[in-house]
Amino acid sequence: MPVRVPILRQGRTLIASIQEDLSDSDILALQARVLEDVIRHRATGVIFDVSALDVLDSFGTRTLSDIAAAVQLRGARMVIVGIQPEVAFSMVLLGLTLADVPTALDLETGLAMLGRAA
Amino acid sequence: MTGLDLAAPQMQRIERDGDVVAARQIGRHLAAEIGFSRPEQALIATAISELARNIVSYAERGMISFAAVDAERRQGLRITAEDRGPGIADIHAAMTDGFSTGNSLGLGLPGTQRIMDEFDIRSAPGEGVTVTVVKWKSR
Amino acid sequence: MDDIIASSGGRHGPPGGQIADQLRWFDITETDRRQAEALAVTADELAEQIIEDFYAHLLSFDDARRHFRSDEQIARVKKGQLKYFRELVTAALDEDYVRNRRQIGQIHERSGVTPTLYVGAYAYYLHRLGHRVMDRMQDDPGRALALLLSLIKIAHFDMAQALETYVEAREATIEQREREMSELPTPVLQLRDGLLLIPVVGTLDSYRARSLTVKLLEGIRDHRARAVVLDITGVAAVDSAVANHLIQTMTAARLMGASSVLTGLSAEVAQALVKIGVTGEALRTAGDLQHGIEMAERMLEI
Ligand SMILES: Nc1ncnc2c1ncn2[C@@H]1O[C@H](COP(=O)(O)OP(=O)(O)O)[C@@H](O)[C@H]1O
Ligand SMILES: [Mg+2]
Repeated sequence: MPVRVPILRQGRTLIASIQEDLSDSDILALQARVLEDVIRHRATGVIFDVSALDVLDSFGTRTLSDIAAAVQLRGARMVIVGIQPEVAFSMVLLGLTLADVPTALDLETGLAMLGRAA
Repeated sequence: MTGLDLAAPQMQRIERDGDVVAARQIGRHLAAEIGFSRPEQALIATAISELARNIVSYAERGMISFAAVDAERRQGLRITAEDRGPGIADIHAAMTDGFSTGNSLGLGLPGTQRIMDEFDIRSAPGEGVTVTVVKWKSR
Repeated sequence: MDDIIASSGGRHGPPGGQIADQLRWFDITETDRRQAEALAVTADELAEQIIEDFYAHLLSFDDARRHFRSDEQIARVKKGQLKYFRELVTAALDEDYVRNRRQIGQIHERSGVTPTLYVGAYAYYLHRLGHRVMDRMQDDPGRALALLLSLIKIAHFDMAQALETYVEAREATIEQREREMSELPTPVLQLRDGLLLIPVVGTLDSYRARSLTVKLLEGIRDHRARAVVLDITGVAAVDSAVANHLIQTMTAARLMGASSVLTGLSAEVAQALVKIGVTGEALRTAGDLQHGIEMAERMLEI
């Protein structure tokens, strides 16, 4: 059963809050929707809240950077928030550094970060 | 979800990307039952995710099995990912960071080796791939 | 590792559990026991002299002499030795015997008797005894050899008991030391809102480095930290493995949204880090703790 991730809107910022473990096709579906929404709402910022995730593997991480790059091409900025300690640890051992995407501790800090940039 | 029989091996058939999710959840659950710490559970789930995805991406279908192991006063979890797909011609290349025939990051196999305590890969062209990994509980 | 993967493990090699299995492994039969026992009279007569000679030999080594504090102690140990060798030819090779041998192994391990010393003493005894037995039984050298071979089998079985104990005791000691090392507390100090200081002290083996990483990451979450100062002034040796761990830790911190500064590294270490390709962006360093903290405070303001 496909998982539909809610995308909230706060001003010109979109917030995709991932609540459960997503399959690869769920992530790809989310990618398509976020990019559509960025255009439709002329968003300037996108936040991916992954605090509920307990795994971020190479496919998930790769897709998140792809989304960030595409969001940037549309003139907006993306921040990933809420990567949990054990997830960060696993990602690093796997070799995933997510070097090109800004990260923040939680939603609040992420919003502040986008606010300052705007 | 309690009362899992740790002694009995568990299996997860891998055919679709939903099975990848199921496999890593089973693995995490078993790891928790064995008493792995949360960071260790995350490592195990990540490794399973990589192995399972490789099956879907490169071999179409296969199987992941899990078994609690016990040796020399240590407890661990052994995971075997098996398929009968095209196999890997150059294992050395496949184990190199960044090598990918799938236009992806090429970190699945070498990263899994870094994450787990023991790692064994066997393959021959046309004969599929078997990857066996073990994580030991830290004392 | 193939073994562990192929089976559910357990110790490998010859059976270590059942005495009957062990005796079978050493090929020790009732005949061997009887033949060894036939040496009892000779052994009894000779033991004392051999042991006297042995201690003269032993005490000519400085290292060995240091184990003994007094003549009394030497006399006591000699008596123990006499009993030990007598039991070798008369023992029932049963559970009590094995338990006793293992206890002796434990005592040896604890008092610093090395396996070399132990096996050497055996070799000395068997060699001397062997010569005398051959001398005395000149009329039947075939039988003398048979008796001695049986005794040698039993001696090996006997040594195995003590050596197994050595290994177990060593493993336990190492495990204990590892535990102590990894439990060296790594404090996570909150300097002010959003800023953590982690002074790392001691050696960073890979196990401890991992637990440091986990601790730091949990500290970031629990204190909602946005900047971390990692001070390694107190780290004994920073080789490339340790440097690698530190970089992984700082990368993981960044994934959680915290910036970090590394302080307390020597010029050589800083050089080494550059060599493994660490760029300024991924790894901020400061000359000393004070500067590191100032740097981190500036990061908080951004
Ligand atoms: N089960 C498999 N069957 C066939 N080839 C595989 C399998 N698993 C991995 N490979 C090969 O090994 C390469 C490296 O795999 P991996 O390290 O997971 O990186 P990635 O999947 O990103 O390419 C793959 O690109 C593929 O060529
Ligand atoms: Mg892969």
